[in-house]
Amino acid sequence: MAGVAGGGGGGGGNDFQWCFSQVKGAIDEDVAEADIISTVEFNYSGDLLATGDKGGRVVIFQREQENKSRPHSRGEYNVYSTFQSHEPEFDYLKSLEIEEKINKIRWLPQQNAAHFLLSTNDKTIKLWKISERDKRAEGYNLKDEDGRLRDPFRITSLRVPILKPMDLMVEASPRRIFANAHTYHINSISVNSDHETYLSADDLRINLWHLEITDRSFNIVDIKPANMEELTEVITAAEFHPHHCNVFVYSSSKGTIRLCDMRSSALCDRHSKFFEEPEDPSSRSFFSEIISSISDVKFSHSGRYMMTRDYLSVKVWDLNMENRPVETYQVHEYLRSKLCSLYENDCIFDKFECCWNGSDR
Amino acid sequence: MEFRLEAHRIVSISLGKIYSARGQRGGLKLHKNLLVSLVLRSARRVYLGEPGGECALPPRPGPPPPDCERLRRGCRPLGSEPAAARGRAECLAESPRKRSAAERGQAAGSPGKKPRREAEPPPPQEDMETGNVASLISIFGSGFSGLLGKERGAAEASEPGQVCCEQPVLRSLNPWSTAIVAF
Repeated sequence: MAGVAGGGGGGGGNDFQWCFSQVKGAIDEDVAEADIISTVEFNYSGDLLATGDKGGRVVIFQREQENKSRPHSRGEYNVYSTFQSHEPEFDYLKSLEIEEKINKIRWLPQQNAAHFLLSTNDKTIKLWKISERDKRAEGYNLKDEDGRLRDPFRITSLRVPILKPMDLMVEASPRRIFANAHTYHINSISVNSDHETYLSADDLRINLWHLEITDRSFNIVDIKPANMEELTEVITAAEFHPHHCNVFVYSSSKGTIRLCDMRSSALCDRHSKFFEEPEDPSSRSFFSEIISSISDVKFSHSGRYMMTRDYLSVKVWDLNMENRPVETYQVHEYLRSKLCSLYENDCIFDKFECCWNGSDR
Repeated sequence: MEFRLEAHRIVSISLGKIYSARGQRGGLKLHKNLLVSLVLRSARRVYLGEPGGECALPPRPGPPPPDCERLRRGCRPLGSEPAAARGRAECLAESPRKRSAAERGQAAGSPGKKPRREAEPPPPQEDMETGNVASLISIFGSGFSGLLGKERGAAEASEPGQVCCEQPVLRSLNPWSTAIVAF
């Protein structure tokens, strides 16, 4: 498994100093293709960290409880569960292989002892239940200790099975499989604040699902032109608003964000709000279109702001102001002069994610 | 001027990407191919010297990239085509970048094409290469045949330039596209 970073450290004053608190995985350069991590996601409490890789596996890390006897291990993450989420598939109709690479993982808010997450590859979304088992029932009436059925005529007395502790076992089981709804490659999934529905977005369409229903989904956005030759932009990311279950946003490869309200119409092809920053003509180059493509969009926890990531910068938008972002941060501006080389070696197509900290700072 | 050389390079890189995308696992990646075709389109516009192509680019600050510099130096004496071609081949050899099939074909093809270069006048040359490129795009970029239509129209509308460096660049374009079509 390729390395992944842990949290960060604090510095003095206004300057934050970031450092790795934990690194997991192989340090040497020789990493198998299948082990390359393709997505990471913390759960709501931060106790669990899920990672998906190119080989279709999901590895979940759990933060150790801080205890007084080991004050220095400040919540170390260790492997909690590993399972194969997706396998490579073959679409015979189109003669195409469907990659097993996990594109996104999203946790569901926890409602009982078990944890649920959605994981998706290019075409299929799966709902996984991760549950712990640390007790085992012993003393069945109809079964022997090794599981063999007992002859009912031999049973002369009845007893109540007793629960005995056992080594912790973490089981992952697929509870729902949401398939065959996307012609293009799925790039985002987002769980709604109603905890009942979620959306999945591919390059041209966004579908709305109910978590209990796998054989149907509603198409809520469709930007496919009647004539594919006229295609100029694709959907790159989508997310539900954290509080308003009827509102979601989606970003495009042209650097625009559209906010849609599902109450206005069944098909949200017309946006309620349109966010775009006018292009700076002095920085135009052959690659302006590529670097303005938004790779990730995230609402703040408050729901008042959203953050977008394009190739070189992070922008913070106020939902009430559509004509420009309120803050812009250049992440690696020094790469602007190297765009041609980055285009050549394909690095310009890398997609970065962004994320708010817990207090939206 | 150096825009056109850069544009030419970008066109060949882009076509190489569209070609290699065909065999990719997981099928055609719509987003990436759309971006590549947009880059290809604007690079072609600049290369063919269309209005709106060059205007789209700001005056480049700072030193021009090294390979274009060498090429310019190489072709300043008019008609010194062998020198220019050698200069270009040198640049390609020295560059540590990954070389696409296009560049490989071009470097291999240019020495052999020298006698042919002298005989052919520019205008039919340009039409031929545009025809090759257009057919390439129709073969490799099946989703974007609108691009093909625009380029055919663009080729007919543009005039062959009279800039000194255009000759070696145009000539070397031919073996390049022949190499790709051969694939």
